[in-house]
Amino acid sequence: MLQKKICMVGGFAVGKTSLVRRFVQSIFSETYLTTVGVKIDKKSVALPDKTVDLILWDLAGEDDIGSFRVSYVRGATGLVLVVDGTRAATLAVALTLRERVEAEFGAMPFVLLFNKSDLADRWAISDGEINELRQRGWQIYLTSALSGEQVDDAFRQLALMVTK
Amino acid sequence: MIEIARNVDPDYRAQFEAVPTADPRMETLRQLLVSREISELSRVTHLLNEPEQLAAAVGDVLPGAAARAPHSQLGEALAPAVERAVQRSIQKSPRTLTDILYPVFLPAIRKSIGEKIDQTFQSLNETLRHIFTWHGLKWRLEAWRTGASFSEVVLKHSLVYRVEHAFLIHRNSGLLIAHVTADNATSEDPQLISSMLSAIQDFVKDSFNEKEQSGLDTIRFGDLRLWSEVGPSATLVSVIRGNPPEELHEIVRDVLLRIHEGSSQALVDFDGDSSQLAGVEAQLQTCVELKQEGSNAGFPWLVAASALLLLSLAGGWFFLSWQSGQRWQTYVSRLETEPGIIVAEQHVSGGQFYIAGLRDPLAADPQSLLSGTEVDPAQVHSQWQFYQSLEPEFVLKRLTASLAPPETVRLSIVNDRIIAEGEAPESWIDRARVAAQQLSAGGPVFDISGVRDVSPEVREAERWQAYVSRLETQLGIVVAEQKIRDGQFYIAGLRDPLGTDPQSLLSGTQVDPARVHSQWQFYQSLEPEFVLKRLTASLYPPDTVRLSIVNDRIVAEGEAPDTWIDRARAAARQLSAGGPEFDISKVRDVSPEARAAEHWQYYVSRLEAQPGIIVAQQTVRGGHFYISGLRDPLAADPQALLSGTKVDPARVHSQWQFYQSLDPKFVVKRLTASLTPPKSVQLSIIQGRIVVVGEAPANWINRARAAAEQLSADGVVLDVSQLRELDLVELNHLRQAIQTTDIFFSSGKVVPGPEQMPVLDRLADQIKEFAQSARKSGVTARFMLTGHSDATGRETANASISAARAEAVRALLNKRGVAPELLLVRGAGTFEPAVPENSQAGSSTNRRVSITVNLD
Repeated sequence: MLQKKICMVGGFAVGKTSLVRRFVQSIFSETYLTTVGVKIDKKSVALPDKTVDLILWDLAGEDDIGSFRVSYVRGATGLVLVVDGTRAATLAVALTLRERVEAEFGAMPFVLLFNKSDLADRWAISDGEINELRQRGWQIYLTSALSGEQVDDAFRQLALMVTK
Repeated sequence: MIEIARNVDPDYRAQFEAVPTADPRMETLRQLLVSREISELSRVTHLLNEPEQLAAAVGDVLPGAAARAPHSQLGEALAPAVERAVQRSIQKSPRTLTDILYPVFLPAIRKSIGEKIDQTFQSLNETLRHIFTWHGLKWRLEAWRTGASFSEVVLKHSLVYRVEHAFLIHRNSGLLIAHVTADNATSEDPQLISSMLSAIQDFVKDSFNEKEQSGLDTIRFGDLRLWSEVGPSATLVSVIRGNPPEELHEIVRDVLLRIHEGSSQALVDFDGDSSQLAGVEAQLQTCVELKQEGSNAGFPWLVAASALLLLSLAGGWFFLSWQSGQRWQTYVSRLETEPGIIVAEQHVSGGQFYIAGLRDPLAADPQSLLSGTEVDPAQVHSQWQFYQSLEPEFVLKRLTASLAPPETVRLSIVNDRIIAEGEAPESWIDRARVAAQQLSAGGPVFDISGVRDVSPEVREAERWQAYVSRLETQLGIVVAEQKIRDGQFYIAGLRDPLGTDPQSLLSGTQVDPARVHSQWQFYQSLEPEFVLKRLTASLYPPDTVRLSIVNDRIVAEGEAPDTWIDRARAAARQLSAGGPEFDISKVRDVSPEARAAEHWQYYVSRLEAQPGIIVAQQTVRGGHFYISGLRDPLAADPQALLSGTKVDPARVHSQWQFYQSLDPKFVVKRLTASLTPPKSVQLSIIQGRIVVVGEAPANWINRARAAAEQLSADGVVLDVSQLRELDLVELNHLRQAIQTTDIFFSSGKVVPGPEQMPVLDRLADQIKEFAQSARKSGVTARFMLTGHSDATGRETANASISAARAEAVRALLNKRGVAPELLLVRGAGTFEPAVPENSQAGSSTNRRVSITVNLD
């Protein structure tokens, strides 16, 4: 049994919970998010030579970065940074959260998801900006919890990165 | 060389004592060759000989040296010294070391004591609960037998529990290392559970700011407990159902300890791959095997059971034979009381039961009555002959079966007579009568006098009549004629189209609609309700009109245009013959013109009530409104007042002349604008008079007095008698100081010399202080800078030089922070000399800038 702790990090209402709701196995209700501030789900990803269970810690989204419970990230091997593609400010929130995590626990692999790609008419992130982030070698996916576009790809990529 | 050797080592000195020392050449040579080394050497020697300096030098390097020393050797070397030091410290003052170790020991001690107390309470609880019970006695015996304490025995029997799951959770990441389950125990995904458990631990720790190393000890949910034991790298959570003893903590802790001992490095290196820790599961298994079940052992059940069996065998046979005889007698007496059964004979022989008699086929089956008596049916031998019982119950049953009475007939038994009541067709009554005659010999009486003869036709006619009378009570329906012929119903009459449909009233009456033949003529009912409906439909009254019925009269109320009133009047006339009265006298005629005129009048009255506006003339002509008059510029704008009055501004033609209203309110507004009273002054209107109260500078009071005189000619009273001159006593001194200051200049210069700078500094401070104090009192202070020149030279040049001097001082004061708008400048030339000009000294006194203070 190979498992890895992964934290889903992002601002308020960027769609983390929706991503989790449709694509992973879950036994806890979403009220845990508001009560305990975290909800735990599991995503099994089959890689060519093994299967890895990603234990996903879905942290309650906060635009107030100060109240982010960084202690929940302890022991994580990877991050899923989620940005709402229709609200440019959530990119800064996700990057700041990542910096906080790295300051506390050191660098760790991550994938950056620009979510809500189905809302093309309200898209607020320029291609230039995304390309610039890709130039840094970051793994970036434009996902949609609605259509499921690229969600599995992103989790597979992260599974590859954390088992290397 | 000897000399050098002598100096380096004192021992050599003795050996070479014979060699003369005081050779001056040697000394010179020595100085030349090694003077630096000698001084360095003597410093080092000095350092080694002085304990304090040596200690300081070694102290500098000691921490570095200790850090670089091989650890094992250093530890060994230091150990005895440290031990002695600790010993000494404890002897001297145990308190110091206690304080140091306090935070380390306290949590462990606290936890240990807590568990011990829990254990004691648990033991006490259970002991008290069982002390006076049967178990209690039994357990006391067991305690006496085994030598254990009573409370131990109680706990052993009463604490029933089972460890259902054991989760070994990685402490850092919350990932599941291993999970084992007891047989038949189920749970959700253990990976998710273990992560959530550690999240909750974090949550509690964060939420209550708990710094301690330990985590959540116990979570309890009904019958289920979660116990968690925290180790250095992993947490062991056991899920226990039931009531576990406190010692279980120690057992679980032992398992955790063994796991840590066995796989400590693997636990530290754990990165989510649990294959490295496969052996752990076997150790966890020992946890879930822990349980205490409700114990049945200890009592010799087998012996007791066999003894009981012997006893039963001995006494059982006698009891059973007696009991079965009793049961048989109970059964027989029950049969004898059963109606329709007559027991003729019964006896018991050789354990078998024999019975014979008569029974009615409608009576209860004697065989079925056996069930529940515990008499074995196989031992019963019966002989029953059928007969017809004449008991009323049986006769009633037979009559019900043979006559099949209709639902409308009810059969019952009253005083041993069978009575039939209700309604039935004639044919059934005839059959019942025959049956009654047959019964008469010996049986009970069958009374059918209570059954009414009801033919279907009669019933239908009744229903029809109910329908007709229902129609007759309806408003707007008049039944003229109705009859029944050959099973068909005929009805004719009048109906109002607005009334209820007679056809729809048929439903629920059970009259067959197919057999109803109606002929309805429409007519207009003159009932007020119908007339109201028709009027509403034909007249379309506007929203402002309400129609209602008052004492059979139809009354219209509200407002309507005259066209509608005309139509309503015509309708009222048409109604007059025989119908209800239609009263439209309460409807007011409202034509658009009338309404517009009303709005206009409202606007005019609003204007007239406005202070500062005098309406001289107004007319309405050809749908246009004309108005003229006077208005004060400070009064409300008549145009703005139009809004909200619903008067069309395009149709309003105004001619307004401005005038000054003598209304005190307006006078006050004008005065405020023209006099600009200081803040310390208040204008108010008291009984039509304008009263000025407060403090003001003298010149403002003078202006106010002049205004009062002017106004009195117009008959307006402006009372300034309560005005007081502003009391600036505290400022007078400062004012004096400012006004006696002069800035002096050299001949022909417009900029004061450096010796004047302190004077300017002081002056600037005084001016600022004065201006600020004056502002606090509500007045503005202004400072007039007047430039002067001496009499030498041309007059025009002197005039311009004097003005330039004043400007220069203004600039210098401004530079020192005095607001420029407070400073006024003028040049006086030679016209206001300070001293008569007849000497050199006089000239220099007159070359100056003087300052005067004004308040307004």
